[in-house]
Amino acid sequence: MNHNVYIPSVTKIIKIKEEVAGARPIKTFRTIFLNKNDFSHRCGQCALLSVLGKGESMISISSSPLVKDYLQFSILKMGRVTSALHEMEEGDLIGIRGPYGNGFPIEDWKGKNLIFIGGGIGLAPIWSVLQTALSKKEDYGKLTLIYGARTSQDLVFKEELEELRKKVGVHLSVDVEEPEWKEFVGFVPVNVLDKKPSPQNAISITCGPPIMIKFVIQNLKTLGFKDEQIYTTVENKMKCGIGKCGRCNIGKFYVCKDGPVYSWAELKNLPQEY
Amino acid sequence: MVNLEDLKEEAQKILKEEKVKYIIGYKKSPNSLMPVPAFIKNPEDTEKLIWDPTCIYNLTRFLVDEKRRKEREKNPDERPVGLIVKGCDSRALIVLLQEKFINRDEVYIMGVSCENTGVLDEKKLAIKLKGKKAEKIEFGKKDNFVVTTEEGKIEIPSKEILAERCLECKANFPVIYDVFLGDKVKKNIDNPFKSLEKIESLSGEERWAFWKEQLDKCIRCYACRSVCPMCYCDECVVDTINFAVTADTTAQEKAQKIKWMEKSPDLSENLIYHLVRAIHLAGRCIDCGECERVCPLNIPIRFLNKKLEKEAKELYDYEVGFDSEQPSLVSSFKDEDPEDFIR
Amino acid sequence: MEKILTKKSFPQWVKKLVSFKIYAPVKDGDFWSFDIIDNLEDIDLNCPLTVDSPKKIIFPQREILLEFSTSNEEGLEIKENLPEEKTSIIFGVRPCDAKALTLMDKVFSGDFEDLYYQKRRNSTILVGLTCNTPPSPNCFCLSVDGSPYSTEGLDILMTDLGDKYLVESLTEKGNKLINEAKNLFQEPKAKDKEGVKKIQAESERKIKRQIKDIKKIPSKLKEMFDSPFWDEESMSCIRCGICTYLCPTCHCFDINDEVASSSPLKGKRVRTWDNCQFPDFTMHSSGHNPRPDKASRLRQRVLHKFQYFVELYHNYQCVGCGRCISMCPVGIDIIEVVDKVRDYES
Repeated sequence: MNHNVYIPSVTKIIKIKEEVAGARPIKTFRTIFLNKNDFSHRCGQCALLSVLGKGESMISISSSPLVKDYLQFSILKMGRVTSALHEMEEGDLIGIRGPYGNGFPIEDWKGKNLIFIGGGIGLAPIWSVLQTALSKKEDYGKLTLIYGARTSQDLVFKEELEELRKKVGVHLSVDVEEPEWKEFVGFVPVNVLDKKPSPQNAISITCGPPIMIKFVIQNLKTLGFKDEQIYTTVENKMKCGIGKCGRCNIGKFYVCKDGPVYSWAELKNLPQEY
Repeated sequence: MVNLEDLKEEAQKILKEEKVKYIIGYKKSPNSLMPVPAFIKNPEDTEKLIWDPTCIYNLTRFLVDEKRRKEREKNPDERPVGLIVKGCDSRALIVLLQEKFINRDEVYIMGVSCENTGVLDEKKLAIKLKGKKAEKIEFGKKDNFVVTTEEGKIEIPSKEILAERCLECKANFPVIYDVFLGDKVKKNIDNPFKSLEKIESLSGEERWAFWKEQLDKCIRCYACRSVCPMCYCDECVVDTINFAVTADTTAQEKAQKIKWMEKSPDLSENLIYHLVRAIHLAGRCIDCGECERVCPLNIPIRFLNKKLEKEAKELYDYEVGFDSEQPSLVSSFKDEDPEDFIR
Repeated sequence: MEKILTKKSFPQWVKKLVSFKIYAPVKDGDFWSFDIIDNLEDIDLNCPLTVDSPKKIIFPQREILLEFSTSNEEGLEIKENLPEEKTSIIFGVRPCDAKALTLMDKVFSGDFEDLYYQKRRNSTILVGLTCNTPPSPNCFCLSVDGSPYSTEGLDILMTDLGDKYLVESLTEKGNKLINEAKNLFQEPKAKDKEGVKKIQAESERKIKRQIKDIKKIPSKLKEMFDSPFWDEESMSCIRCGICTYLCPTCHCFDINDEVASSSPLKGKRVRTWDNCQFPDFTMHSSGHNPRPDKASRLRQRVLHKFQYFVELYHNYQCVGCGRCISMCPVGIDIIEVVDKVRDYES
């Protein structure tokens, strides 16, 4: 294999959409490779986005692998690299290398009901699974989305969620009361208990702030979900993306290579240091 | 002579009375001549404390750790920490008090006098023993060190194997303390900056060549910075991340943190690191010499700090580490300060 | 093959190898370190353990991965910067350091091959030296499945027999080196081979330090993850980088962009050694740090070396060179820590 893993491919940003404005802005980027590329990914995998001169940042690919025209990333402005990305315009060039990570085992989930539980930017990593399942509706059971954010402004994919309502059960929430909000008010884990998704023939996929994931898993278990039925993605600081720089390990596993997707059955046996 | 039993007794007393959380001192290492720092919580463990010429570490450094630990705890134990200090270490304490990094009531100072000797330079001892292994070394009479090898005891005049810093010692007994052990013997040093003479005699070009060669070796392990009690800043010029980040720090602020030097151990970056660190320590470094002791590549970085110490004395008549009330060198001025560099 | 080379002929052999880049231990003030040899007659193999390991030649502390600029018509040009292929020879490699390189090989190959490491590794010939006496007072290679005369990772192993060396070639590359000066080498006699066997037995006996019952350690460590043991052990750590930077098996690195000019943009993406003992190693952009204190970082180091690496590759990630023990500024001794782990009762 002569391919040099550290060299990113040059890609062009073709579309930037502002999802959330304000102090914690989120933008969605769509990119295409400038040169012919056999890049293909699985749901849940990530890629290292390079802003040459600033650095790299590992972001989940939120577009479905069935979409061949572009790759989609939703990025929260957090530090040096993500701030540089937020200042870019359509047509600007960045580098992308990947895909990295293990992806969701969606082939094992055929015929099952899928319950997606997201918080804030956490909807982006599981969006690819949701879109893939929608495109292949015959292969999967009932699809449900339970998603919330701090305020209605902080919800991502607002327009797409409205479209989604027509096809699957969508249950939104915000953390505190706000005028004109007609749906659930409270934290996402509490909304989960409220909507009582059934563990019968179901797989639950959750992603969001660590504290939300902790309570969602707790509540799912109260509802009768077994450890193997709960899947999540873990985040850690990453640099190489290929399990060599030694930074992102949890126990013997490197989150960039052996993760970021873990079932609760696997995750609970790892040292709880993340 | 310092009576080790008195030291142990005092340590036991304050632990039994629960006056301190724990005591930081020196204890023997099972596998080496040099000691290891001891953190003693139980009165019975005070038996392990030692005081001999190997006690070279500047333990004041661990007060910085203690402060960080307290900041992380929800309900920290507010009792002081007991600290065993030599003369030089106590001057580091004065600087921490002067800069209000710690309060006087956070530390219980157990001062020990080096009297007319000081601490050991391991390498000088190895050369003197010509390959024989030293098992133990103690303070002897008449300013000698008594070294025990497998062949028996030898007496060596301390002057021959003292650490370099002790040859220019400005405080051979602690200048601040709650309890004092030993005698306040006056030690005369005729030239406290003698070690600089060799480098100062070189021409500008020769000096540049010297430092280029030395700093090229640096692997940026940051042991020099890590061991220094005065390098306690959460936001250090060297780090790419500001440790003082909170949940409210905006992405903009994080993105705008200036990268003063690259992580690469290139000569240019190494130079910036060492020179900036020396300038940040001007008027604060008390020449405990730890930075040079810990460097794995024997880079003589102490000279950089010492030169600035000399300039502080000559230009501004400033001596650090004796008065915790005096203002810091770089953030104060006197009317008589020289102005010949102002054009 | 095994050959005899007299000590007098050794410099002549090295001189024949002038077309290669030659590294060997060089004295620098009080310590020895691996460096390029300019004067080929000056190689002195009779030296204590070098302060650094040959890791720095195959996995350099600074490696330029690629160069970038925005000056061409595409708007962004990325050029990879692979190392040149000139073959190097490193003399005086101790068996522990050679074994360390075989451990690093496991990390840098696998699913994603690291071309930079591979190129340097494949173009370096390692000439080892048996440790007739332990080169450091803190050697403990025997405890971690190593040995003072192990051939793991080496192309040639030389054993000092007093006035001559027994030179054992272990690979094709080793054979080639010997053939560069065939006439300088003689066949070994029976008493030479006996001499080597005696030295080997003696060398093991002279190693004083050891970790007893090391096989119990990985499972014990697994139980001790949440123990207050790490808090106590790490009290004296000053969180410098000496133990990891000098360790021949540590491989953690950082990748940063170094910008030479911002408009037009020109710069390099550089890989440098990094250190799990530094407080910012695992710190997220958000400020969250999974390992915020010295206890968790010391625990990471010990667990990585004696549990995680064992679970992944069935080898301890420690070759017993003792550098971390000799150079730690506050005397933290990994043998003592591991001994305490083995005997720990919660």
